[in-house]
Amino acid sequence: MEYANLRRQAASLKRSLFDQGYLDEQFCQVEDLQDEASPNFAEEVVSLFFKDSARLVSNIEQAMEKYPGDFNRWDAHMQQLKGSCFSIGASKMNNECTLFRNSCGEENAEGCRRSFQKVKREHAILRQKLESYFQLLRQAGPARTATRSGGK
Amino acid sequence: MASNAQGSPVKALLVDDTAVDALILSTKLRKFHCETTVAKTGKEALDLFHEGKKFDIVLCDKDMPIMNGLEAVEKIRAMGEIDVKIVGLSADYDATEVFMSAGADAFVPKPMKLDVLSAIIQEVINKKNNTMV
Repeated sequence: MEYANLRRQAASLKRSLFDQGYLDEQFCQVEDLQDEASPNFAEEVVSLFFKDSARLVSNIEQAMEKYPGDFNRWDAHMQQLKGSCFSIGASKMNNECTLFRNSCGEENAEGCRRSFQKVKREHAILRQKLESYFQLLRQAGPARTATRSGGK
Repeated sequence: MASNAQGSPVKALLVDDTAVDALILSTKLRKFHCETTVAKTGKEALDLFHEGKKFDIVLCDKDMPIMNGLEAVEKIRAMGEIDVKIVGLSADYDATEVFMSAGADAFVPKPMKLDVLSAIIQEVINKKNNTMV
């Protein structure tokens, strides 16, 4: 069945996201909140995350440009982004955010710039992978229960 | 089902400027049939109290613009709101002391697990039911 194949592909993609460290257990906690009332809850949260995180990344970029050396400001912006990453289980992004904040603490501008490039890269990669994941789930449709075939 | 005596839902105020966190925690609160209001800053939360709104529980993030959670908790208590249960939330794991000093009843690191939230909501219900007896 096509549905089963798509579900398998989605499961395999999700497993690889965990194995490669893009996601952690917190993502499962978000998926576990799905129910009949909110069957697409995880996708809604992820969609909101990418909308919000794009804004936060832009804020950080502008802050680094307009306020050179203002590590407290840069850190405050990154703290927000890190919080969101943590909440959805975006593990690699979360780690890069932490490295950025460490560089802020050391007042290491070059370190911040390098980390920020990594944050942006991980953001783009995760977005692409999760879009693929949810597209597979949408194509598969809602989970079906097995039914007995034929006979009385 | 998380409801007070006589079936009224637990009234929760969630104070968090992070949209993702607010969505996730609101959904968790809905699982326990709480009636949830969301404020994005400490000031918005305080304004709700000034308007005379009543809540059984406040779940308050620490770091927010305009007015942070610690200041909001202090001011809510200073208004005489001593009965409402206030739980501080933060990804900053060692925020217990600052929240308790501000007047919170408890601190839970983010993200709050469902079983932890369940226990907290049940405490609120039990207290409410005992008050009404």
